Amino acid sequence: MEILKVKNLSVSYGKKIAIKNVNFTLKEKEILGFIGADGAGKSSTLHAIAGVVSFKGEVVYKGYAYHSPKEAEKIKNEISLMPQGLGLVLYDFLSVGEHFDFFRDLRGLKKDEEYETRLLKMAGLYEFQDRLAGNLSGGMRQKLSLILALLPRPKLLILDEPTTGVDPISRAELWDIVNEMREEGMSALISTAYMSEASKMDRLMLFDEGEVIAKGTAQELIEKIKDYTYEGEIESNECFSFNKRTYCLNPLPLKKAIPTLEGVFFVNALKKGKKPILIEVPKKNIDVPEIIVKAKCLTKKFGEFIADNCVDLELKKGEILGLLGANGAGKTTLIKMLLGLYPIDEGELYLLGKRIKSYEDRIELKSKIGYVSQKFALYKDLTIKENLEYFAKMHSLTPKETKEKIEKYSKMFGFEEYLNSFPKEVPLGINQRFSLAAALLHEPVVLFLDEPTSGVDTVARSAFWKLLRKLKENMGISILITTHYMSEAEYCDRVVVLKRGVKIVDDEVKNLHQKYPGLDFEEIFLKIYKENQ
Amino acid sequence: MRLNVIKAYLKKEFIDLIRNKMIILIYLIPTMILILFGYGIKLEVTHTRTIIIDNDHSKLSLEIINKFSHTKYFDVKVENISYKEALHKLQTNKADMIVIIPPSFSKDLYKGAQIGVFIDGSFPLRAVTIEGYVEKLLIHGFNIKLPIKIENRNFFNEAMRDYNAIVPGLFGLIFLVVPASLAAIIIVKEKEVGTIFNFYSAPIKKIEFVIAKIIPPFLFHSLNIFILFLWATYLFDVPFRGNFFIFWLTSEIYILISVGIGILVSIVTSTQVAALVLSVIITVIPGFLYSGILMPISSMDKESYIEAHIFPVSYYNHIIYDTFLIGQGFKSSLNVLYFIILCIYAFVLIALGTLLIKKAIK
Ligand SMILES: Nc1ncnc2c1ncn2[C@@H]1O[C@H](COP(=O)(O)OP(=O)(O)OP(=O)(O)O)[C@@H](O)[C@H]1O
Ligand SMILES: [Mg+2]
Repeated sequence: MEILKVKNLSVSYGKKIAIKNVNFTLKEKEILGFIGADGAGKSSTLHAIAGVVSFKGEVVYKGYAYHSPKEAEKIKNEISLMPQGLGLVLYDFLSVGEHFDFFRDLRGLKKDEEYETRLLKMAGLYEFQDRLAGNLSGGMRQKLSLILALLPRPKLLILDEPTTGVDPISRAELWDIVNEMREEGMSALISTAYMSEASKMDRLMLFDEGEVIAKGTAQELIEKIKDYTYEGEIESNECFSFNKRTYCLNPLPLKKAIPTLEGVFFVNALKKGKKPILIEVPKKNIDVPEIIVKAKCLTKKFGEFIADNCVDLELKKGEILGLLGANGAGKTTLIKMLLGLYPIDEGELYLLGKRIKSYEDRIELKSKIGYVSQKFALYKDLTIKENLEYFAKMHSLTPKETKEKIEKYSKMFGFEEYLNSFPKEVPLGINQRFSLAAALLHEPVVLFLDEPTSGVDTVARSAFWKLLRKLKENMGISILITTHYMSEAEYCDRVVVLKRGVKIVDDEVKNLHQKYPGLDFEEIFLKIYKENQ
Repeated sequence: MRLNVIKAYLKKEFIDLIRNKMIILIYLIPTMILILFGYGIKLEVTHTRTIIIDNDHSKLSLEIINKFSHTKYFDVKVENISYKEALHKLQTNKADMIVIIPPSFSKDLYKGAQIGVFIDGSFPLRAVTIEGYVEKLLIHGFNIKLPIKIENRNFFNEAMRDYNAIVPGLFGLIFLVVPASLAAIIIVKEKEVGTIFNFYSAPIKKIEFVIAKIIPPFLFHSLNIFILFLWATYLFDVPFRGNFFIFWLTSEIYILISVGIGILVSIVTSTQVAALVLSVIITVIPGFLYSGILMPISSMDKESYIEAHIFPVSYYNHIIYDTFLIGQGFKSSLNVLYFIILCIYAFVLIALGTLLIKKAIK
């Protein structure tokens, strides 16, 4: 049975057209996935259907047609929307439990102890019901928003990148829950940046610049690009390489490979005449000690709760170190201690060979460190360009340098066209990119990146990693990075895995592959987590 | 309208305001404004037209006249007229102040001689300022104690002591500015953070949302009515001659007006900073200008007289001045009319806010 029919849906903000003439139908119990580059129009489509933005065209839900948010009011009690962004719908000063009370009352629901417990357990929040949302980790916030969207048992679930920043374990659990609710008759529209997730959906729609350019099952989409997919990675300005695959329109003397869904983006970009951005990082020798960061038994407590429990960490010159772990494992807390954003409760810290004891010790190191936080620190009242200029000024760059750098990075990361927009108006992925640009402006020698690629589309992620590797190889910059894309861990030299604040693994990636032969990194990660109960 | 929705929002709002410590500001700011402005409003007044009647003709009296003449604050004319004539000049706005030095002033000095000072009280604030100057000049210059009488052309403020005019006037300012900013902020915060999606995407009526957003600022500031009243009567010793119930009820209605303005502000702004700035700007200026603090509305020229009546603050102040200083209450039909006008304001503003508030992304 058809429960949703979308006809000629268009959304525009002022002059900017976000989507035009989108058409599709959704059957009962069906899960339809939206994929596409950042800013392609997935969110606008979801918002229009949820009735939170004005649109042109018609949406028919179970025979009821609506053409405006006002007309959509009637069906809102059957729909749940989870908008994009890390816990956007949460109130920082309300605890997890109070959020449940709020949403239950808002929807006039009766308390269903069993169901709520299940949701809380699935999200790993059962023990944290008294914790304020503002004190949850990024991924925990995301999961809380998600279970709140599930609370009213909607007939139509609309999720906008629900798993951004959610760890692999929870992502699997989320799918179990969605599948179960689907059995009870729920349908869902879900946008996602994780292609492994997209392949689990019944059907997919590929968005590009406001239009739907391909529809079909994951298999059908993959089928279309199999002629362009090769094994291995190469340096070329005609082809994209990412994740042990190379995508090229022209034939290559390489072995063909079985494509993954990620390839759809690259092939689409190539077909539109886009070329991989040439990233050039001048060779330079920076004068830094061999050990950039040395942390001995760092501990952080929040009241009784131990967020990081005696963690040792070493970051060497020219090394990319991946910091992995489930949501709430203590990654962000650890980085914040390294940066001095949280006081260190116990342990010793050396940065660039210098023992750090007080705030003063850090001042002269400021210009050598770049940081991208998980909840980015952008000024909402400034445009992206003004934000960058502000950061440049803070690091006393000359106006000429500033201009050159902004030009360079905006081109490199592909956010040129957004320079004059405000952070709120642009997709999450674009914000991520320019936060990274802001952290690079002053040419730091060490970068702390907290989930810089969460919510960023595949093509941009590949460019981003290319840049990181160039920074490392040509300039010897050291990078500490957290990510929930386990495939990205392959690009790290070494990984440190945290679980509930305790370090459980600290090893080179190639050693781990030797230890667990034949597994991809996501499988290795899940295995490690299981082994260390 | 469903109570569960309103209850949900109210509970959340109260927890939020208390935990994020906003509650401290809610109770600190009004009191601070009252005390700071109550004590501190002093404008610089220069060239006060001063008539000195010197009946003593002594060395001391000449010295006093000299002192008055040698500052920019006073334009002194020494005239030989009667007390009555002088008062007439004051009343017809030919002079701003009269200083009368009695005949045996210097002789009686040690017994406690007095100088009579009469100040035009039609601009209360200016009068208080002038009074301050005179006090400084005489007490600090000559160590003379003096009873100063501020002659008031405004019928009700007859026995104007310093704070009687200013403090009730500040009520109209405070209850216009503060509830409006709070209401605007608690709505815009949701827009800024993103939690507004909870309203957009759930089957919640606009009226439910608006009511849930009105109640917290309304309730919190209701308590402020009592707090400010106590400050006024105990700290500033302003007499209260009218009916407390009328004072309270009018203030509640007035707070609703302010909250209504806040809702309208929240519709056109999208960041908390902008909401705060805008709501303060559009309330402070009329709050100050037309409150009767700077000048009585009756003495305004025609244009500003009409303007003053566009802003609810002048109606409110009229009733508040009455309850504090006169006490006619609803026996005066003007007060009744003004009260009704205030009710209409409150209703229209809130209805407008409910109507205009968007339940969708702009
Ligand atoms: N200010 C705080 N008060 C209390 N608990 C806190 C506070 N800040 C963080 N925590 C808790 O510390 C733990 C670790 O949080 P952290 O942000 O480091 O996790 P994370 O590993 O970065 O997770 P994610 O992958 O979701 O970003 C979490 O359980 C979090 O709720
Ligand atoms: Mg984190």
